[in-house]
This record gives sequence, C-alpha cells and structure tokens, in this order.
Amino acid sequence: MNRFDLLNKVQNILKDNLVICNIGLPSQELYKISDQPNFFYMLGSMGLSSSIGLGLALSQNKHVISIDGDGSVLMNMNTLATIGNRAPSNYTLLIIDNGSYGSTGDQRTFTDEKTSLKDVALGAGCKNVIECSGEETANELNKAIDDKDNSYVIISKINSGNVKIDPIPLNPITIRDRFRKFIGKVKYL
Amino acid sequence: MKISKKIIDNLKKGGVDFYLSVPCKLLANMIDILENDKDVYYSAVPREEEGMGICAGAYLGNKFPCIMMQNTGIGNSVNAIVSLLQLYQMPVVFLISYRGTPGEPVGAQGGMAKITEDILQTLRIPMLHCSSEKELDKISTFSKHAKVVESPVAILCDFNLMKDDK
Repeated sequence: MNRFDLLNKVQNILKDNLVICNIGLPSQELYKISDQPNFFYMLGSMGLSSSIGLGLALSQNKHVISIDGDGSVLMNMNTLATIGNRAPSNYTLLIIDNGSYGSTGDQRTFTDEKTSLKDVALGAGCKNVIECSGEETANELNKAIDDKDNSYVIISKINSGNVKIDPIPLNPITIRDRFRKFIGKVKYL
Repeated sequence: MKISKKIIDNLKKGGVDFYLSVPCKLLANMIDILENDKDVYYSAVPREEEGMGICAGAYLGNKFPCIMMQNTGIGNSVNAIVSLLQLYQMPVVFLISYRGTPGEPVGAQGGMAKITEDILQTLRIPMLHCSSEKELDKISTFSKHAKVVESPVAILCDFNLMKDDK
C-alpha cells in the first residue's frame, strides 16, 4: 500500500473532519481523490501541518486531523513536544510514514534507517501513539475520533511510491475562505 | 510590570485572544500576566517557526493570534511567514523583544539586531517600533490593522524600554 492507496481508503473518514494536509504530493493526491471544502491544502511551509492542525484544534471544537509525512515531522520534531503537552482531544496527528521524501523523488528518510517516530513521540510526551499498517489505519483513525477524552498520534507505516499528478489548481485564498466558511467563520462567500 | 501590562492591555483591546511565546527575559512579565489571564489562550512553544504554524491554525479557527519572541525568532521563521502567513493572507501579531538595541549587555545579540528591520522590510511586514512608553498606545490600532490588511504585523520593543519594567 502506498500513500495514494491509503488516502483512498480513509477518504470517507477525512471528509467528516477538518483536515490539514501536508504540502506536495499528499495534498495533490487527496485533491485528486476527493476535493472537499474542509480540506486545507498546504502550498508551502513544509513541516508545519502538525502545528497548523494543533492551533486549529485549540481554537474550535470540531475534530482536526493533521496529515503529515515522516520527512515533514523530522523537519519540525519540536512540535511533538507541544502536541504532547498541549493537544486537546479533538486533535489527531496522522503521520504517513513511507520512509521517503515522496514529493522530491523518494529519497530515503531517517525513519527508513534508525529513527522511530513512535519512540520520539512517546519521549516528547504524547500518550496515545499508535504505529500501524496502512490496512489498519482507517480503524485506528475511527477509534481516535471516537475517543472524546484523548488526542492521538497515528503512524501509518506504508510503502513509498507516488502517482503521476498535477499541482492543485486552487489559489490559496480560495482554500482559506472555503475552509473558514465550512467551520462557520466566514460569512461573505 | 507597568510597561508589560500596558502592552498586553493594548493587544487585548486590539482583539488579540491567542498568545504563544518563545521566552525572552524581556517578555517574562508579559508571560506571567498571560499565564494568569483566564480570558485568553497562552502557551509557550519550543520554536518560532512552529509557532507561526500554530498561529495559522488558530486564525483558521477564528482566533486572532500573537506570537511573542526575540528578534532572532524572525530569522527562524522566514519561510513560514512567506509561504504560510502571507500566502494565505493571515493576520498575526509578532510582539518582538528587540535584543541587541542600545542598553543590551550581550554583544552577540547585535548581529541580528542590525538586520532585523531590513528583514521585516524585505518581507513587507508593517512595523511599529516602540522605544518609549507613549508609543505603546498605538498597539491596539496597529493590531487591528493586521486584520484589515490580512497580514502579519511586527511590534518591536526596544531593550531599554523593557529592561527596567520590574
């Protein structure tokens, strides 16, 4: 199972939640599978999907899923400490860990060598850290969303590999405004 | 405490209700005030760039965020400012302790101080430079300006303004 297969499998769960989706291929693949106004596609700022989702979860009550990658989490590991200490129960961090920098040509990341993001997250203070296969991910995501008392970090271990895909044709303000309108914060659209 | 209280009062008057900080000793009194303020959200964060991401999420959730940091934090955050906050036109207030300005005892702070305003200018971020107490009165209007122009704005507080705020 690669990222595209995984996103296909969890799309029905994602569409009922607020989703912050990582820059590059993850956003492009999700857009191709199922574009929704409650999906916030990152067009820049690699590494910050986890942080954007955390700020959003702290600011309103709907459930937030941050879709991140192993390469991106390695770039912003300090945020796992913030999540471990501050994440509210309406927050789930889904790390799609394929051991590679998918958007830049599948170069290996350190999770394909010695680094365990599960151990890092636990050490950073995250309590409910689940490492699972791609096949188990939908089930684990549902459990995390149903638990109204705890936040979760789910690390989905899948194969590398991408599908051929185009950049997202939406402009950033469209992404921003339809997302905020979905939450109920923008009236002028 | 008088200066710190005035800054926070003005930020709140400007609508700011979500605060993060990467600590600085010049921000310590403001952090104390915010930790005891039940009306707003406050948390420390380990790194400024991450804080820009959290502020972006808070804005999407209809908060008006502020990140408090040393001027060195701007250096840590340039890409997040440009390719997140500015790309999506998100209002965020940067409240910056301007280390390396006259009165600063640590010589090594001078390097970032020399280029801080140039960086902010290059980024086209509106600046409010506070070197005396009366300039703090402009903070609430300046914060509201961030929302009107949908842009991050920067408030720079000089070392000498903050250092005796016991």
